[in-house]
Amino acid sequence: MLIRPTIEDFQVVASNLGRILTLVGFAGVVPLSWAVLAREWAPASSFILMIGVFLALGSLAARIRVPKQRLDWSHGMVVVALAWLVVPAVAAIPLAVSGHYSSSLDALFDGMSGLTTTGLALVQDLDHMASSLNFWRHLLHFVGGQGIIIAALSIFAGGGAVTLYLGEARDERILPSVRSTARFIWAAALGHMAVGVTILTIVAWQVLGFSPNRSLFHGLMVFFAAFDTGGFAAQSTNLGYYHSMIFEFSAGVLMVAGTMSFGLHYALWKKRYSSVMLNLETRTMVVTFGATLMLTILGLAATGAFVEVVGLSRYGFFQLLSAHTGTGFSTISVPELAGWTGLAFSGVAVAMALGGMGSSTAGGVKSLRIGITVRSIVTQIRQVLVPDGALVARSYNQNGKTRLTADISQAAMSVSLLYVALYLAGAAVAVAYGYGLQDALFESISAGANVGLSVGVTDPSMPLLLKITYIAQMWLGRLEFVAVFALFGFLWSTWRGK
Amino acid sequence: MKRLAVLALVLLAVPVPVAAQEGPRVTVSELLARAAEITGRVVVEGELIGDYGLRGNGYMWTQLNGDSYAYEPLLEGGALTGGNVGVAVRIPEEFVDKLGGPGGYRVRGPLVRVTGQWEYHDPDRNGESYIDVLSIDVLNPGGPLSEQPNYWVLVAGLVLVVGSVFLRRGTGWWRRG
Repeated sequence: MLIRPTIEDFQVVASNLGRILTLVGFAGVVPLSWAVLAREWAPASSFILMIGVFLALGSLAARIRVPKQRLDWSHGMVVVALAWLVVPAVAAIPLAVSGHYSSSLDALFDGMSGLTTTGLALVQDLDHMASSLNFWRHLLHFVGGQGIIIAALSIFAGGGAVTLYLGEARDERILPSVRSTARFIWAAALGHMAVGVTILTIVAWQVLGFSPNRSLFHGLMVFFAAFDTGGFAAQSTNLGYYHSMIFEFSAGVLMVAGTMSFGLHYALWKKRYSSVMLNLETRTMVVTFGATLMLTILGLAATGAFVEVVGLSRYGFFQLLSAHTGTGFSTISVPELAGWTGLAFSGVAVAMALGGMGSSTAGGVKSLRIGITVRSIVTQIRQVLVPDGALVARSYNQNGKTRLTADISQAAMSVSLLYVALYLAGAAVAVAYGYGLQDALFESISAGANVGLSVGVTDPSMPLLLKITYIAQMWLGRLEFVAVFALFGFLWSTWRGK
Repeated sequence: MKRLAVLALVLLAVPVPVAAQEGPRVTVSELLARAAEITGRVVVEGELIGDYGLRGNGYMWTQLNGDSYAYEPLLEGGALTGGNVGVAVRIPEEFVDKLGGPGGYRVRGPLVRVTGQWEYHDPDRNGESYIDVLSIDVLNPGGPLSEQPNYWVLVAGLVLVVGSVFLRRGTGWWRRG
């Protein structure tokens, strides 16, 4: 029997959601300060409006009497799912009033894309956009990449923190408490930021010949999008704007760092190198990257677009790295990427679908699930081949040896299947609107796996339902289904429960 | 036969159109859509935008946008027509002095017509594609654009912020769960 949520359940959800909205409202002071310093008054007023809406919603929630009932698993999941809907909607206000979007839905699309670190964009005339608005788009990558819930938990981790943490698709607790884990994640991100921005700025200034101010601007933007595997860029030609192998290499290192699980960052920090090398995710990602890279390079060679091996390797490697890490940076034009067919298309599309590591800033099925699924299948086959009564050892290495139970295998396979269903569902909607199957599949995988590479389907003129589909895919893909299903269950119980 | 010879002489004497000497005129969209097919010299129009990357090797790199915003900026009432359409250009440094600053927020970049060599996945540049500019004409020097703050947005925002502070009386900003 379905039990209808009580008024206390709603109060718990609203109260916790309100605290998260208040926190993001305070974060809005950062782009506001940027706008004031840059004397960009129109964007500054839109940031004040956004902060006002965040704080007003947070304050209304604060007026709700907090019941003694503690945040349980279902409350936490509902809070997370709602937070990832409301935050992008309110964060999109400055974009919506900027004049660079045809509709509020388009602005919401970019807000969701930014926060879920996808990188697909419906912005128009990006090259004339205010620097503070551009900064805000990229800052959304940074906030969403580490996790808005993680940000909240690092400040106030009360009862039920674990469920909030898990709801945001984090299944790995690095340190004993959720709060210390959350703080480690932010410390790792800020540490990478200090190094990454410095290197990118120096390269932009000394190698690309940009002015010092603009070098810092580009360094910041590219860092946010690379480390958080986002894919937005300061200019419309994306990373192809920079025309520099050194710059691409610097961004590439940050993309790899971003796609690594924070557990591996911790192991590296503690100098447990063997643990990193033995890790199932590391090994799985090396194998899948190698295989998809081979497909892509062979496919590209067959097109004859490149006449020498350095260019072929450079462009093939970077696009593949961008796809597999879930970043979505591109160094070629959209029409050219759309022309990648056959093996090159397969390599990039499969890499996008697989995605990066679990508990990282990347999306997709995740290497851990792929590794567990393969390990489970191999174990099953070996079990059939050994004599009756003999048992095959079932374990895998992820920050130490872990027993491979039926529950773990089942969970990995179920979520993997859900991702496949998500990719196919998005593609079906686009095909129904008359897009070619290849383009539809590519764009759907890109949205569902939070990648951001585009073959041109994502465009302000695309059908409204397709925009909504991609927004939903980005949301579901980022939260890895569970929190969203919990929200639907909560709503269903409210309607049909007794 | 004599007439044919005269006709041939006349045809030879007719000046060849400038565009034919310079290469075909293409838009940036066409260039990107038929990147592999187009070879040799091209003439392209557009706005220089973003940054001027002076790399100290005699060349400056920037981006040339051939979209509607190059002709009718949003801040001058231009309509939204989709994303930007840009291509990289490599310009000899000696041309830089006659160019105004690049376009960006509240700045209309110089609208130029460039004649250059279309380099599609240039092996000498490790596979990069760009226009190697040979000559450049400034059609419009560009300049600053103005944008007014939206006072209604500002007032609404301030009202909400003040209202939030009022609502928070007695509860504080954080409350432990």
